[in-house]
Amino acid sequence: MSVDYVSPFDERVRAAEPLAPRPAGISGRTAVLLDIRKNRGAEFLDRMEMLLRAEGATTVRAAKEIFSKPAALGLIDEIAGRADLVVEALAD
Amino acid sequence: MTESHPSRDEAPRAAPALAVRGTGPGEVTIGGLTAGGCALLLFVNEDCPTSAMAMRRLGPLCRAWQEAGLTASAVFEDPLEVAVRVARRLGWAGGVVSEDPPYETSRAYQLVSVPTAVLVDQAGTIAGSVTGWDHQALAALIGQAAALLGAELAIPEATEPLLKPGCSSKAAIDPELAAAMSAPAGTDDIEEMFERGWTDGLPVVPPTPERVEAMLGAAGGSASLGPVPPATGEATLERVAACAVLAGCRPAYFPVVVAAARAALDPAFNLHGQAVTTQPAGQLVVVNGPVREAIGLNSGMGALGPGFRPNLTIGRALRLLVTLTGGGTPGKLDRSTQGQMGKIGFCIAEDEEVSPWEPLHVERGFQPGQSVVTVIGSDAPLSISDHRSRTPEDLAWVLGWAAASAWSTNWWPLEEPSVFVICPEHAEMFRAAGWTKQRLRQFMFEEVRRPAGELRRGETTPAVHAADPAARVPKWASPEAIVLVVAGGEAGRYSAVLGPCTGMGSQIVSREVEPRVG
Repeated sequence: MSVDYVSPFDERVRAAEPLAPRPAGISGRTAVLLDIRKNRGAEFLDRMEMLLRAEGATTVRAAKEIFSKPAALGLIDEIAGRADLVVEALAD
Repeated sequence: MTESHPSRDEAPRAAPALAVRGTGPGEVTIGGLTAGGCALLLFVNEDCPTSAMAMRRLGPLCRAWQEAGLTASAVFEDPLEVAVRVARRLGWAGGVVSEDPPYETSRAYQLVSVPTAVLVDQAGTIAGSVTGWDHQALAALIGQAAALLGAELAIPEATEPLLKPGCSSKAAIDPELAAAMSAPAGTDDIEEMFERGWTDGLPVVPPTPERVEAMLGAAGGSASLGPVPPATGEATLERVAACAVLAGCRPAYFPVVVAAARAALDPAFNLHGQAVTTQPAGQLVVVNGPVREAIGLNSGMGALGPGFRPNLTIGRALRLLVTLTGGGTPGKLDRSTQGQMGKIGFCIAEDEEVSPWEPLHVERGFQPGQSVVTVIGSDAPLSISDHRSRTPEDLAWVLGWAAASAWSTNWWPLEEPSVFVICPEHAEMFRAAGWTKQRLRQFMFEEVRRPAGELRRGETTPAVHAADPAARVPKWASPEAIVLVVAGGEAGRYSAVLGPCTGMGSQIVSREVEPRVG
């Protein structure tokens, strides 16, 4: 016996976004350091920033409004427009 | 349907041996069944309406037949426990036996469909058979048995339908398919919901199109309330209705479910953060206004507990929307470390009639006659007993300090709201003393404070570290972080506090319940 039910799910199939090509090196690249605003995440990014600069990268700091919400689309666009690399810090 | 009797020139055919199980300890054989005279084998299966009709019509005659020498047995193509249950339900007073796949007995008797009645005489030969429900042919078959026995045998009444075709015998179906059809999970729609994952771990009501239509009422199903975090499934009204059906809601509750969904999907509520956090964040739904009485929400005795369908199912519908439509599945995108029972669903109603204060929705800018749903990101409730306070100051002190460990022992101040559910007897003490809500809030805000130096241990806040060690830090950042609602039974001095969902920037959101959804 087969019964049709009304699905509570959104059945749309979403294609996975392919990964961007990996850069061969860091020197001369722009790295955006994204702070999601979790506790002590900025400390981790400070250290990453120092290491990236030592390797010849240009660094830019960015931050989400709050860790518990997805990043604003404007922020994502801004990062995508200028970054060769992104480092996102999760901490606690 | 066909009637077949052995023709005079056809050799009598021996009744094949039975490969069946009965309810008794001994083996069921043709010899045993015909020892007292003749046997009538009625082949049936659970899924066949004609089988059910035959059993219902012939069943009451079985005892008298037995006394006259005709032993009737229902041969089920179903598990024995199913056979016994179905026979009892249909009033079948004859014997009950069961055969398992691949239904060797049905095959041996060359069954094509059920019901099939086979008369076996005392010599163990097949005297005749009738396939399907054919009143005239069955009367003739029973008459044949009466002649063999030399006895009177009752025949069923000639009521419509006199003719009704049967259903396919399971022996006539591919054995693998037959086994699949007889598997419990394949025929149990509650189990199917579990197999599909359309549940929160409790049984749900399957969302058939009819039930979802009834839930939607006059509303169209395609309008959307917006994407549901965390996986942004679109909350079409049809899906919201499906969740309401799954949760066990009656259609009368649906406007409240929709209002709760609208409130929870407001970005200010930050459902995304609540749905995925490691915190035990639940979504508390508070209902105010006339709709409470209209749909039977309980705001009295046991207001935070079990026993009342609207309270339990409305909160559950919202949670199913988050976990199913929104993809916030516990253990997957929902990363809650321990969870809490309020994440199954938590809906309460304020007892506005008992409360000495303006109800929550009026505080939030609505009119008293409006029906409103308010959602608040909350932890589980902590019960606070106070049967001894004799002044409002003492009572307020006890209630306030009970919340001192909300979120974490030394996490002061809390920015997000703590919800106090004040029981009627406690509310009465404040009413008698003329305390307003604002006075109670202000008292708690002023009284529940500790020196910063005592809070510098383990998890604490930057504010504690920044403050002078002697500075008295309040538990709440402002009196407005203390939410007061009245609910509970008239006897007993137990209030409760629900700690907050923190760090989310989650605001309290209210939405009016619109009588016409969509």
